[in-house]
Amino acid sequence: MSAPEIPEAGAPEALKAAQADITPPDSTAVRAGAFSWLFPYRSALAAVGLTLVIGVVVALATFASSTGMSFSDSLSGLLGTGDYATVMLVQDFRLPRIAVGLMVGAALGIAGCLTQTLAGNRLATPDIIGVNEGATAAVVASVVGSSTGMIGDWWLGPLGAAAAAMVVVACAGGAGSGGYRILVVGIGVSTVIGAVTDLVMSRENDNTAGGVFLWTVGSLSGRDWSVGTPLSFVLLVLVPLSLVAGSRLQLLRFDDDMAATLGVNVRRVRALTLALAVALSGVAVGIGGPITFVALAAPVVAGRLSGPTRVPVIGSALVGAALVGAADALGRVVAPVEIPVGVITSVLGGPFLLWVLFGKNSEQTGKA
Amino acid sequence: MQLTVEALTSGYPGHTAAVDGVDLTIPSGQVAAIVGPNGCGKSTLLRSISRLHKPSSGTVRAGDEDVWQLTQRRAAHRIALLAQSPQAPEAVTVAGLVRYGRHPHQGLFRQWSREDEAAVREALEATGTTDLATRRLDHLSGGQRQRCWLAMVLAQQTPIVLLDEPTSALDLGHAVEVLSLVREVAAAGRTVVMVLHDLASAARYADTVIAMNAGKIVANGPARDVVTAELVKELYGIDADILRAPGDGSPVVVPSAKARSVRAPEKTAQAAEETVQAPGETAQAPEKTVQAAEETAQPPEKPVKQSG
Repeated sequence: MSAPEIPEAGAPEALKAAQADITPPDSTAVRAGAFSWLFPYRSALAAVGLTLVIGVVVALATFASSTGMSFSDSLSGLLGTGDYATVMLVQDFRLPRIAVGLMVGAALGIAGCLTQTLAGNRLATPDIIGVNEGATAAVVASVVGSSTGMIGDWWLGPLGAAAAAMVVVACAGGAGSGGYRILVVGIGVSTVIGAVTDLVMSRENDNTAGGVFLWTVGSLSGRDWSVGTPLSFVLLVLVPLSLVAGSRLQLLRFDDDMAATLGVNVRRVRALTLALAVALSGVAVGIGGPITFVALAAPVVAGRLSGPTRVPVIGSALVGAALVGAADALGRVVAPVEIPVGVITSVLGGPFLLWVLFGKNSEQTGKA
Repeated sequence: MQLTVEALTSGYPGHTAAVDGVDLTIPSGQVAAIVGPNGCGKSTLLRSISRLHKPSSGTVRAGDEDVWQLTQRRAAHRIALLAQSPQAPEAVTVAGLVRYGRHPHQGLFRQWSREDEAAVREALEATGTTDLATRRLDHLSGGQRQRCWLAMVLAQQTPIVLLDEPTSALDLGHAVEVLSLVREVAAAGRTVVMVLHDLASAARYADTVIAMNAGKIVANGPARDVVTAELVKELYGIDADILRAPGDGSPVVVPSAKARSVRAPEKTAQAAEETVQAPGETAQAPEKTVQAAEETAQPPEKPVKQSG
């Protein structure tokens, strides 16, 4: 234990001490009368950069074709000047699918950001705590008995996710309980639900099972505005709420007692955050299937870009969107037969997970 | 702001009440120290005052507002608490930690006001941590860390400040430093209530010593009136001599050499060993070191106290 550091009496030291920078890092204070805001320039810069990346992804995805459609054909389809089939292909299939992909990715990114921060653990993503399995099981179960074998009822995703979350929370002893219990119970519950999903699938005939299987690894195939429009409305509500939750979650980096004496209603914040994460990942899975890795990676990458002091809600959304957008486009063109987006992200996920676990990043991911 | 506790009963289901009908009034600008044996209910009392543990009956009032009727945020404007071993966010800097103290005062349209900035500077200055502002909290020594936590609590600018054993992990020098700081805080008009394990520091640094035993207050008043051989016997079951400090006449507790009757005698040998070894164990058990430093002059019969 070293001796306490007593400030020197000399004038230069005192002056220097008085000027010590205590403004939050990577931010600039903007003040007007009684109002004051912090402009997080580093996060903002990251957001601009990510938006540019998404722009490039969208551009590439728009012109990426598995059937060898040329650039000029794609352009004419995009502008509506090409022939009927081309215009339809680009405007009615490709564009909405890209949009849905971006939104699904954003939802997964935010959901992961919320659950990771809530549990104080980088591995606590909706994939792991049973929410995705719940959503998957609900959607798969809906296919049973339907003659078409089509995945249609995306809204069953959030319902299944909510049901699974309730089971996990009930078993873990409440939404306010520590992250570790939620994790362990979540792993158990998701294994059970996953087994149910497999059981249901194994009893289906090959045709139905094949169609469903494609979806259960995460696929955006055939998704258009019929799901894209409701999805955009859902996000319009959930994203602002997530931003509010994110600002409160910052205080949960203390222990609960400290957060409470600093004016945070800990139970309420936990419950709200969990509900948001369940809703976001449930909707995303209901539409795109359980696309793995995005909810794990997006918040980690966003955290690196925007600095450790904030809960990177927006950053996670943008990274998630870019990831899903790029993976889906890649899956469409990389092989003669389309590879589902979930397979691409799984392939990327393994190495990334190892990087998170073993990488020289213990300072920021200390609890991972 | 005056802190008033009326008929407060608080406890855990299935157990006898940890705090049993406590009445207290602590006026503005005073330092009150709550002392008592382990499990006497002093921590539960502090938690009930700071809204961390809901009392089964009774009221806690800050000024004339019922603390338990306020919202979490409004309560955080009135009362700040420094818990015994608080957990900081990873990799937080000192300035970052102290900034968190401003959270109850911030909102969507008030994210970093001039008042916030002034309060943080003031708190850093008062605790002598300005020079540490950009350092990481986990890179500091225990004494420095405790001053930083205190700075955070001060930055909250509450009229009432609660401290749960603020010196339990500190050596004698740093403990005195923190307690002197506490006096300054009270001199600036805040009401301070702290739980202390050490009767001697309670006697020297508090205006009022509140002694608790089995959930009830058994003595409450200025140290020189309250700290008596009878009280020590009642609280800890040991005989002790009360001396007067030559400087200011504040009471000093010197336990007698006789083994205490309530504890099993076979423990004494082990306890004596612990007392002797404790100075070497600094890294693992800093709280023992504090105790040991104060107890080395004492006969070895008295077991080493555990904080809690």
